Amino acid sequence: MMIAFTDIVGMDLAKQALMLLAVDSELGGVVIPSAVGSGKSTIARAFADILPKGTPFVELPLNVTEDRLIGGVDLEATLATGIRVVQHGVLSKANGGVLYVDSISLLDSSAVSHIMDAISRGEVLVEREGLSEVHPAKFMLVGTYDPTDGEVRMGLLDRIGIIVPFTAQNDYRARKKIVNIVLGKRDEEDTKDELNMLAGLIQAAREQLPHVSITSEQVQALIQTAISLGVEGNRVDIFTVRAAIASAALAQRSDVEEEDMKLAIKLVLIPRATRMPDREAAADEMPPQEEPPQDEEPEGEDEEAPADTPDAEAEEEQKETPDMIEELMMDAVEMELPDNILNISLASKKKTTTGSRGEALNNRRGRFVRAQPGEMRTNKVALIPTLISAAPWQETRRRDSKMAGRAKTALLITKDDVKIKRFRDKSGTLFIFMVDASGSMALNRMRQAKGAVASLLQNAYVHRDQVALISFRGKQAQVLLPPSQSVDRAKRELDVLPTGGGTPLASALYLGWETAKQARTKGISQIMFVLITDGRGNIGLQATFNPDAEKLPKEELEKEIEALSLSIQADGVASIVIDTQMNYLSRGEAPKLAQKLGGRYFYLPNAKAEQIVEAALSF
Amino acid sequence: MSQTETAAKKTAAKKTGAVKVKADATVTTAPEATKAAKPAAKKKSGLAFPFTAIVGQEEMKLSLILNIIDPRIGGVLVMGHRGTGKSTTVRALAEVLPLIERVEGDTYNRTLEQYLEAEDGKKGAKALDPASIRTEKIPVPVVDLPLGATEDRVCGTIDIEQALTSGVKAFEPGLLAQANRGFLYIDEVNLLDDHLVDVLLDVAASGKNVVEREGISIRHPARFVLVGSGNPEEGELRPQLLDRFGLHARIITILDIAKRVDIVKRRREFDEDPDAFMKKYNREQLKLQKKIQQAKDLLPEVTMTDAVLTDIARLCMNLGIDGHRGELTITRTAYAHAAFLGETVVTMKHVKEIAGLCLRHRLRKDPLETLDAGEKIDRELAKVLGEAEAV
Repeated sequence: MMIAFTDIVGMDLAKQALMLLAVDSELGGVVIPSAVGSGKSTIARAFADILPKGTPFVELPLNVTEDRLIGGVDLEATLATGIRVVQHGVLSKANGGVLYVDSISLLDSSAVSHIMDAISRGEVLVEREGLSEVHPAKFMLVGTYDPTDGEVRMGLLDRIGIIVPFTAQNDYRARKKIVNIVLGKRDEEDTKDELNMLAGLIQAAREQLPHVSITSEQVQALIQTAISLGVEGNRVDIFTVRAAIASAALAQRSDVEEEDMKLAIKLVLIPRATRMPDREAAADEMPPQEEPPQDEEPEGEDEEAPADTPDAEAEEEQKETPDMIEELMMDAVEMELPDNILNISLASKKKTTTGSRGEALNNRRGRFVRAQPGEMRTNKVALIPTLISAAPWQETRRRDSKMAGRAKTALLITKDDVKIKRFRDKSGTLFIFMVDASGSMALNRMRQAKGAVASLLQNAYVHRDQVALISFRGKQAQVLLPPSQSVDRAKRELDVLPTGGGTPLASALYLGWETAKQARTKGISQIMFVLITDGRGNIGLQATFNPDAEKLPKEELEKEIEALSLSIQADGVASIVIDTQMNYLSRGEAPKLAQKLGGRYFYLPNAKAEQIVEAALSF
Repeated sequence: MSQTETAAKKTAAKKTGAVKVKADATVTTAPEATKAAKPAAKKKSGLAFPFTAIVGQEEMKLSLILNIIDPRIGGVLVMGHRGTGKSTTVRALAEVLPLIERVEGDTYNRTLEQYLEAEDGKKGAKALDPASIRTEKIPVPVVDLPLGATEDRVCGTIDIEQALTSGVKAFEPGLLAQANRGFLYIDEVNLLDDHLVDVLLDVAASGKNVVEREGISIRHPARFVLVGSGNPEEGELRPQLLDRFGLHARIITILDIAKRVDIVKRRREFDEDPDAFMKKYNREQLKLQKKIQQAKDLLPEVTMTDAVLTDIARLCMNLGIDGHRGELTITRTAYAHAAFLGETVVTMKHVKEIAGLCLRHRLRKDPLETLDAGEKIDRELAKVLGEAEAV
């Protein structure tokens, strides 16, 4: 039997979030991260119960094709009737109701783009196959996903009001059992009554909604919170205010109170935080231009405030507001906020890069997403779409052909009809580790690198990432592990690592570049160098080819590195340089190297393997 | 030369006369047929948030306005943070656009002259009497190109319904036809599929759209102001496409609390009662529309001294900008900017205000450069201005 909304134990935040959405559909939607096998979709499907009867609930299959999503010409019906018959897409079928996506983080990026577009318009523009129509598509998006599958694209999250914070609470594997136990004991009458009550509550809240008011100070406090959490964009302000109002409406109040604001902060702002206001470390992660002028300091605010709040009363508020916000936020943060909140927001940064490094459209492999006109010779022909596009023309072509006196053929297909297959593939990234194996710290660095390689490979299947490892010591660099996805192989190859000797940095860069170029020919387009070194190269490239070559002066060595770095960068290879040397030994060469490569520099003395992985993924 | 032709099918048609070749209504020459053509109807969707009610983001607003004043500026690319009102602003544009004149019902929005030139010279057609052709005024079209658009809808194709029901091959114009003399807007332009980018680059370069399908060959004017928006984090833009945009506006999250409170207030007000909200801004909308029209009218009278032109050239040279598109864009944009301010002489003050918009995306990428593009332009501009004053 179905599990009803009221039967679900735990997931309180998720339930609260869905109820807010039921009250105010303008919140756009709810995204619920939750662990695998927890039956996370149960709650989303049960959501339909508490909505008014007849509200559409459409589930989006992950492998949806573009024409099913957006809509298009129903060819079968069109050919049968002779008039153009339009088939509505999934997006417009969800109009006025719920669009539910399970594993939303696995949805391919073109589908995500179309959903984003529909949300921002409230309708779908169908400009396909000779069709030009507008279908209304105003829906609430409910998405569930497992964060270990990767993250949801930020652009999409930005259009969805509520993101349930990922906490241990969501992981209700244990609770599923409770559900079952509870279910066994309950009779259906109870469930029905409870559901009716809940539906009534939501109905009442909907009616209350227009009568709830929020003060300017409260709006200001919410915005201030958004700024100090480093939340990007201004759209989120509107969601926060709406969530607070919906919460008040649920409580049948006509004024927004502190608890409403806290709930709004928790469900709308905190999951989008890029930093915590009380932790300096997180602030460092922010790009400089995004840095707000103040962190809570009243001076910054005084400059801005007079422009809009002219009276003395407002000035007094200005003094009060920061305290109020801090209190609000701290309360909201403390409420069962996971310890790993910063990791989560780091993950949210990671996901922005995942979006770009995740998938690429190509003509060879991956999942078939669409058929489009193209060259037959070099691509795979999409047979059915080709036949479909040829079908309507058979009659007229037959006449033409007869006129021209050509031989009869069963089917007249021209070049114009040919449709080729376009695939979408998670192409993944090749991480090339280059580890300085010279000097005294070499063993340590090597261990870190090995750990990082293993850890990256363990997650490799998600993004189809590959890892290679180059070590450099003595006269020249050496590929210890060619590009690979195999954890076992990496372990085997990396078991014995010689260390000590000179630092042939140029040779390592050269070898890395060669490896990158080879990988490109195999279709890996995204490549990242992870250099673990103090950046002090002392052996030139000459030495690699000619052991008897004279030792180059320092300037020459620098020039070599610079030229190589420029070429590597020009080839679109991203780089990070991780310096593990203790500070007092460093002479600033590593940051310079990072700059030459157009990459980023991380100073991580005693870095753990996980930190290296994090640095590599965050870039 | 004729802009639309049905040449290729002629032989077949002559032989039997069984197949009636009828490309688009406009191709068949007679004005009465033109009426049957679908007008480039503006899609009716809900009310758009008024342009004048948008708080902040002046850079983006100015770039759009300057492009209305002089469409030859070449469009604008708006890149920036999520949720900062990029698409809201572009979609609000339609309401403040001036009117243009076109031949009544013409799918390609052509002027009378263009229409006559294209249709009159056609072989086998009767001479057109200019007096018999009526014209109408329509708002500058704004056409939305969604990411999921297929190539045939963008370029136009053969009307499948007509082909099935009456065996007639009729050309059905696409979005490029509708966008002629107007704006073509692509949201999330950096995610646009490569094959559509190819089409756009082709058409943008030639100003013409050519379609060959089912033996029909159609060629029609397609000049439009390209407007794109997107978030750079989601993906890179093809360099060739980037180069096509005249201006590049950047947009970041507003951090001023008072402004943000204002944004929330206005948005809520609009959501509650769109009609009342529109009414409230009606006057400002009309005022802006009028100001833009006045600037358009003033534009031919605006002049620029050689000294200013020299400074612009020097600025571009010092910044190492390839080609002449940089100078050309700055000059046109500065003219439009002066006209918008109601002034008839372009000074370096005008140049200064728009130089960043024109050049930001044209700087050569120097890997060792740590300066932000905008700062670099400002610095060089200051140098040029310093020199200019010294002379």
